[in-house]
Amino acid sequence: MNIKEWIFTTDHKRVGILYLIGSITAFAVAGVMALLMRAELSTIGPTITSNPSNYNVWLYAHGAVMILGFQIPALTGFFANYCIPLMIGAKDVAFPRVNALSVWLFYVGIILAVLTFFIPDPPDVMWTGYPPYSTISTGNTALYTFTVLILGFASIIGGVNFLTTVAYMRAPGLKWGKLNIFVWCTLGAFVLQLIFVPVLGTAVTLISFDKYLGTHFFDPAAGGDVLTYQNLFWFYSHPAVYVIFLPFIGVIYEIVTTFAKNPPFNYKMVVYGGIFGIVGLSGEVWVHHLYTSGMADWIRIGMMVTTLMISVPVGLMVIGLAGTLYKGSITFETPMLYALGVMFLFLIGGLTGIPLAVTSLTVHLSRSYYVVGHFHYVMAVAGTFAIFAGVYYWFPKMTGRMYNERWGKIGFWITFIGTNIVFWTMMDIGVKGMPRRYYDYSHMSQFEGAHQLMTIGAIILGIGFVIALINWIVGAIKGPKAGENPWGSKSLEWTTVSPPPHGNWPSPPVLEEGWSPYAYRRA
Amino acid sequence: MLRRIGASLSLAALSWHAAAADYPAAAAARAIKDPAAGWDHLWHEVLIDITIIGVIFALVMTYFLIRYRRKPGDPKTGSAPKLSPAAAVAWVVIPVFVFLADDLYIAANGWALWNNFRDVPADRMEVRLESGMYSWDYTYPNGVRTQNELRVPAGKAVMLRMTSRDTLHSHWIPDFRVKEDSMPGRITYMWFLPKQPGEHIVTCGAYCGIMHSYMAGKVIVLPAEEFKTWLDQEAARQGVAGKTA
Amino acid sequence: MEHQAVHGEAAHAHWDTSVWPFVISFGILALVLAFSFNFVYHKPFAAVICLGLGVPMIVAGVAGWVSEAMGKGEGLSYGAMGWFILAEAMIFAAFFVSYWYMRLKAPYWPPDGTVELPKIMPLVMTAVLVASSLTIHWGEHLLHKGDQGGFRKWLLVTIALGACFLGMSAYEWTHLIHQGFTIGTNVYGTVFFSITGFHGAHVFIGLSIFLAGLPAAMRGNASEGFVRTAGLYWHFVDIIWFFVVSQVYYW
Ligand code: HEA
Ligand code: HEA
Ligand code: CUA
Ligand SMILES: [Cu+2]
Repeated sequence: MNIKEWIFTTDHKRVGILYLIGSITAFAVAGVMALLMRAELSTIGPTITSNPSNYNVWLYAHGAVMILGFQIPALTGFFANYCIPLMIGAKDVAFPRVNALSVWLFYVGIILAVLTFFIPDPPDVMWTGYPPYSTISTGNTALYTFTVLILGFASIIGGVNFLTTVAYMRAPGLKWGKLNIFVWCTLGAFVLQLIFVPVLGTAVTLISFDKYLGTHFFDPAAGGDVLTYQNLFWFYSHPAVYVIFLPFIGVIYEIVTTFAKNPPFNYKMVVYGGIFGIVGLSGEVWVHHLYTSGMADWIRIGMMVTTLMISVPVGLMVIGLAGTLYKGSITFETPMLYALGVMFLFLIGGLTGIPLAVTSLTVHLSRSYYVVGHFHYVMAVAGTFAIFAGVYYWFPKMTGRMYNERWGKIGFWITFIGTNIVFWTMMDIGVKGMPRRYYDYSHMSQFEGAHQLMTIGAIILGIGFVIALINWIVGAIKGPKAGENPWGSKSLEWTTVSPPPHGNWPSPPVLEEGWSPYAYRRA
Repeated sequence: MLRRIGASLSLAALSWHAAAADYPAAAAARAIKDPAAGWDHLWHEVLIDITIIGVIFALVMTYFLIRYRRKPGDPKTGSAPKLSPAAAVAWVVIPVFVFLADDLYIAANGWALWNNFRDVPADRMEVRLESGMYSWDYTYPNGVRTQNELRVPAGKAVMLRMTSRDTLHSHWIPDFRVKEDSMPGRITYMWFLPKQPGEHIVTCGAYCGIMHSYMAGKVIVLPAEEFKTWLDQEAARQGVAGKTA
Repeated sequence: MEHQAVHGEAAHAHWDTSVWPFVISFGILALVLAFSFNFVYHKPFAAVICLGLGVPMIVAGVAGWVSEAMGKGEGLSYGAMGWFILAEAMIFAAFFVSYWYMRLKAPYWPPDGTVELPKIMPLVMTAVLVASSLTIHWGEHLLHKGDQGGFRKWLLVTIALGACFLGMSAYEWTHLIHQGFTIGTNVYGTVFFSITGFHGAHVFIGLSIFLAGLPAAMRGNASEGFVRTAGLYWHFVDIIWFFVVSQVYYW
């Protein structure tokens, strides 16, 4: 293996694998931060550090890295890169060099995020970076700004690249209506990135302007307004949750169709109702993160309605998944187990978003562990499970080898149990009044038992993830050969050798009449 | 329960109407509507709602998984029927209609409760709050000031007008189900109805800096007379104008 | 790129590589570190070292990239540029919305400390920028008809006009700063310098794109796809300027 051909590669599959390595590393780093936080919270008062700043820095790094360094790059970087050109029968992406630029910018972003642990005065502004604190903190807010900016820019050029690729480089005869659901989902996510990331970029830039160049965007004393930032930030960061949700549900669609051996239930409903609906609504709901921030009543109420309405397209996508199982021929290999985990646990996560959407309920729930529980169910559980499901699913394609099925299943069940212990408890104590971002809860000692339970749960789920990681590493090195299409999928990426060579196919695949990536139905 | 499901399935417009009709009547009665009680009520209602939805979906999926798992000798492909165009459309329209009805039903109830949170009773005590790193500083109408301790008379609505001198803070009283941020350059408000004498924790909801988790206070609800005595004594002690609240 | 029917990695022929994306990325990392050293840790010396590393890396990276990639794949870049412009437009939208919000909420405007802004200069700048949009359009038209020489002439004129615009901008900035109106003076200064500065940066980028295409134009083999894409970007920068003039100078 030629190291130079990996580091300087412009091939979409290798770029994708670089993305995967980077984002899993980020996950491990942020996961260790989570364990440190859990350790700290396991007793009242100082436990492993007596300086609250340390806890705040871990929490900052945990949130920022998990979202910006792990999930978004894994979903829109790794999966998009690895799968899209293969699924549309293209040799590569439209701009391979731009692709390489985006992955290395991503690494630069990760490096910046990890620098947090090595520099004096690390940023402690939380992943939301709200002013005025972020402009008066002694921490290095610039690092936060640039981490976000660089990861955002990497994502934008990636988005431009993939939208162009799918628009112009589909195999002859591959019509829009025959694209894999995953491809549609990712396109939706990239459109969201292109529209909304620039706004986030502006918001965090203005923070550094205010702090270091003396401007007054968020300084009320000089005519600025602290709420401007919150609006700009959530104008992006709400759609960002669908940037995570869309690709991961797309991955689940690929897996569920393959293991149920059925086409997706009502393709048009899923694409035009579900995906388009989510993309269309996602920009009109951000105020639900500002329910306790003193926004005007009319906009709270309007956005309460739009937020609740998001359950409609999301619900259609869930129906599509459930319907795909109907009259299937279902088998339960590891990827399918994780995918089913997502289907059940996303229900919990999504439905617990419904009370949060109601202004009057959120007056109590906001900024509590209930919110933390909600978003861990949708992201840390559903999102991470989906990423793991996808890696297991395409593992034979990427490496040409098979992982260990038995350990895969063991790992799944351990994480499944662990996550539910941790995140269900979070919602429970949140409703009872436990605020988030607390280093210490000495005035609320009634929660100590619950916190200890969560710490134990976190260790359990960490073990499950580590088992999966080891399984991949061992499988990639010495797993048995897997062959071209171990799952019997009909999708295009399974028609080439594993791992695919540079250029993917000797010549572009030719699609017969009536071809579909989901042609499981017998004639 | 049945009524609830019925309502959630009813026309969206109807559910708006129901909530709207309910509200003026209550306003006329003008018995103070305690938002905290309304909160508990709505919370349980929404909880039941989402539990039903979740359980239905989970049961259907579980059934499919068991019923359609591949048994030895089964064909290796699924046999999902092809949807007719009409069925495909129906599978969009009907769920959309049902989900939307439920959403609007929840929204209408949420909205009605929100009005309770925003309509502060005229008969109230107004206290100003300035938050800062890391304390809650209250000023009573007669000028008495306290820090981290808000004493209030039982049975009377209390309204806080809040601002901050440095970063964001969020005045959260979990027992009264309210929180609202305070921030520099803006004035926000909240109110609650303390019914019985007792003590309630105030805790900071918005990340405000290193000592965020230590920014705790108390609401101490006193019997009305006791409160009055305390306020007068404090006024005398702090040497502020003795006008009582 | 030829492909044999290869099996697995063992038999692979060759994988495309390019070092330039890597070089540019780490050049950017150096710039970011320079910012932190200077503004956060007040170590200007370390900042200068980082700049000294980062800037050459980026310049070399861009140059290497351009010479490597010229003439490949531009056919698609027009569509891609459309998406990119969408993203850029959103940045400006965020700036303008913050500005409108601040201004409509302000008790009076302009806030204390604002100086008299020049009224004639922005008009001249507008004329220059619009003219440059027309010249590049005309150049494109000539190129389409196969007139490389004519295109070269109008490209040079466009570049000159763009440079002229930047020069006037710089003059205006120094003038205002001398009068004591800076980015920190008040919210108007904040908005004025950040928006005009940000727009100026876009003019600069547009110019750089033209300059990157200049060698090919001089050799007489400018690519139409490239010019069309660069022109699209330039028109976009021009349109944004109308917002800047009308909202920031004359409102
Ligand atoms: C992948 C990430 C993801 C996803 C998909 C979602 C999905 C949703 N989220 Fe969540 N959310 C986050 C990540 C995510 N969220 C994060 C990270 C935060 C906190 C950020 C921070 O402060 O740090 C947050 C916070 C957050 C808040 C703010 C809380 C607060 O801070 O005060 C709110 C409020 O409305 C909310 C609501 C919702 C809703 C309504 C959905 C909906 O999209 C869910 C829709 C899904 C369903 C409803 C289930 C399936 C549907 C059906 C079965 C159909 C039938 C259902 C009905 C008719 C109800 N979320
Ligand atoms: C995708 C996003 C994501 C993911 C996956 C997770 C995963 C986890 N999160 Fe996190 N979390 C967030 C996103 C996420 N989180 C966000 C956005 C916040 C809010 C931040 C803020 O308030 O600003 C938050 C906040 C947050 C809090 C709230 C703290 C507070 O408010 O005070 C807590 C507390 O328990 C927590 C815990 C956990 C745990 C236990 C996991 C576990 O699932 C983690 C499991 C993973 C591991 C345990 C790592 C396993 C791997 C290894 C151990 C590798 C071994 C390494 C080597 C061999 C080198 N998270
Ligand atoms: Cu005050 Cu947190
Ligand atoms: Cu949201």
